Amino acid sequence: MISRRQAQIIGLVVAVIVLAVLLVLPHQTGTTSTLRWAQVLYIGIAAMGLNLLTGYNGQVSIGHGAFFGVGAYTTALLMHNEGWQFLPTLVVAAPVCFLVGVVVGFPALRVKGLYLALVTLGLAVLFPDLTKRFVHATGGTNLVSLTRAELAPPAWVPLWVSGEGRDDQWAYYVTLGAAIVLVIAAVIIVRSRFGRALIAVRDHEAAAETVGINVAQVKVLAFAVSALYAGIAGSCAVLVTHIANAEKVNTFQLSIEFLVAVVIGGTATVIGPLLGAWIVVFLQHYISDDLPNHVSSLGPLKRVLGEPAASPAIFGILLILFVYVLPDGVVGGARRLYARLTRSRRTRAPAVPPSPTPLTT
Amino acid sequence: MNQPHRARRVLVFIAVLALVGAACGSSRKSGGGGSTTTVAGGGGGAAVSDADCPPGQGSVGVNGDTITIGTSLPQSGVYAAFTAILNGEKSYFDYINAQGGVEIPAGSGTKYKIKLVDKDDAYDAAKTVTNVNSLINDSKVFSLFNVVGTKNNLAIRDTVSTDCVPDLLIASGAVQWGNPKFPWLIGSELVPYPLEVQTFVNYLKQKKPDATIAVLAAADDFGQSYVDTLNELVKGSSMKVVQVQHYDPESTDPAAVKPQVTSLAATHADAFLLAATLLGCPNALNAMGDAGWKPIVYMSGTCVSKVLFTLAGNNANGVLSVTPLMDPANPANDSNAAMQLYKSSVKQYAPKADTTDGIVGYGWTTAALFVKILSLSPKVDRVAVMNAAHALPSVKDIGLQIPAATWTTGPNDNFIGETFQMITYSVSAGHSESVGDLIDDNGKTADLSPKSLLNS
Repeated sequence: MISRRQAQIIGLVVAVIVLAVLLVLPHQTGTTSTLRWAQVLYIGIAAMGLNLLTGYNGQVSIGHGAFFGVGAYTTALLMHNEGWQFLPTLVVAAPVCFLVGVVVGFPALRVKGLYLALVTLGLAVLFPDLTKRFVHATGGTNLVSLTRAELAPPAWVPLWVSGEGRDDQWAYYVTLGAAIVLVIAAVIIVRSRFGRALIAVRDHEAAAETVGINVAQVKVLAFAVSALYAGIAGSCAVLVTHIANAEKVNTFQLSIEFLVAVVIGGTATVIGPLLGAWIVVFLQHYISDDLPNHVSSLGPLKRVLGEPAASPAIFGILLILFVYVLPDGVVGGARRLYARLTRSRRTRAPAVPPSPTPLTT
Repeated sequence: MNQPHRARRVLVFIAVLALVGAACGSSRKSGGGGSTTTVAGGGGGAAVSDADCPPGQGSVGVNGDTITIGTSLPQSGVYAAFTAILNGEKSYFDYINAQGGVEIPAGSGTKYKIKLVDKDDAYDAAKTVTNVNSLINDSKVFSLFNVVGTKNNLAIRDTVSTDCVPDLLIASGAVQWGNPKFPWLIGSELVPYPLEVQTFVNYLKQKKPDATIAVLAAADDFGQSYVDTLNELVKGSSMKVVQVQHYDPESTDPAAVKPQVTSLAATHADAFLLAATLLGCPNALNAMGDAGWKPIVYMSGTCVSKVLFTLAGNNANGVLSVTPLMDPANPANDSNAAMQLYKSSVKQYAPKADTTDGIVGYGWTTAALFVKILSLSPKVDRVAVMNAAHALPSVKDIGLQIPAATWTTGPNDNFIGETFQMITYSVSAGHSESVGDLIDDNGKTADLSPKSLLNS
């Protein structure tokens, strides 16, 4: 059995090992794998942002693909039309997304739950139309495709990021850097008074108001910070995918992917959405690319599992199973496991005295 | 009350973040802004050279007697119906491999087998980029083949140009593939969209010179290229465009086109141009029937498919379109040897595929055209093959190509599908029939295209 302190040390060691692995990863794998890990990171960043809103503050959004798109387009257009380097575009993209989040956050004060989900869905539907109306880039479409020269890392980037995959390694390390900064920021936010206010508003709005929390402000800020996370994720995605694009199907699907990553990883946990993103990306990749090859020896099963059209269905079934087995996500499951391991060690003396039988007067 | 304080903290955090970004960022403008590669030989000709290519990459993807090529297309999602293309393509490659392979160059006796690696992108351009990067870096493909979608190919345009990987026979009739700045891309035998519009306008000039025209266009570059060309062509004639309505091409719901078509029907226009694709076509035709509107209808060639016609029921009767291919659903073509070969081969290699589906026939024909290009190349080399595609010498009898048609490309002509047939659909017969003679618009696409699209 392990003590609390031992668990903390184990946690720290695991974090250091994971970070070390992530740092050397591009040197051990090929370009495709590097970019897939970068995809995990940017989807994870957006999911972390969504989690601050949905997990901690209880506001459901299925429109985060739009904030992601705002970040992506801001970065892509600045790089493509104005010749900017990537990093300075973040200085513009982050506040822009924050402000868009504020604007969207205000109507969210009036609607809750399912209705709010619908409002944000409207955002995901509206955004591609706006880009089609106002963006005329590559080939006269709303697609912004960046050339390799535009995407090249600045000269000061150290030489150990080098060789043929230099662009891709740069994309990976930038996204990793953003993810690390934003994980730390999320920890700070969650532990701050603002973080506690988020949770208080989620759990009992009226009670939160009576103890002096400005509910409106907290909700709008939650939207704005969340949009900022999604926007930075979108900016990083431009480095990884070389394009900014918005179609209704993709914008909506991205929004759902963020939500799935949050739920699978564990709502209201800082690291959960990153784990969730890892599962979402690699599971989808495995199902659509590797599974059809692996099942080729299975005879009749190949007819079902080998069909590309089957891959979204398989993904859906696995999601259902996942939520069934781990209703509180990977992190929630790990916590329950940890609690079980440490239970016998702890004194049985309850921290909270057993509640007395309710008085019925 | 400490709220302002909390808010400030978050703002401070964002400001710090912004500053970190600013501090790291170098404000230099990148060196070769917008630099794209290689138009060789000067004179605006569409030939490629390996001057700017990574060295020693000309025969990547050729292992012994096998050439590996790659494609990315929607096999899941809204556009999953395009998977049928793959059945036609794979059937043709299986057929040619069973013959020992393709001889390069023709008459040399050296035969190569073709291996096609396919990836699903669900029509998402970002996934196309990922797929193509993986095809180039992991699968080491010799070339790309019939990648589906306009934006999907625009998204990989820079990659294929700098890596010098041929992006051959793109499945899109957009005019952007004629852009001389990007010779590593070339469209397939699909009729370029401006030629479709011209065909319809010419038809109206004969049947109804003072026609009023109503347009339903997809709200994207695809729909817009029809609208732009139409506006250009009716100038100076007595024809008039009375109303243009747009619809959301990603919605498969009949309700997504119904209000627009009802509004168009209220104009009682003589002619209806349907610049839509896939399910948008039958949905619009049904809405037209419901409104009791009976105009002369022209429907985009991208909708020519038995399945889509069937969905429109009686409303599809008499609808005009164009096709570069023989209709596999028309029994009159069954006596044609090329059609017989197609049907027997697809039955053999892809038993589940519907041989009467024009989309399968398109895949078969495009694969045949690819093989033809390979055989015209003097050697198995990316530059040589790409240049062979840019110098098609009036090729005939490719797959289901219409018997009298020829396909030609040259120094000032980057478009293949410029010889085609106008058709009309007959509900009672269950297939389409020819209208008038074969149309040969060879070399005319570039002049008809909106310049803003052609050179963008």
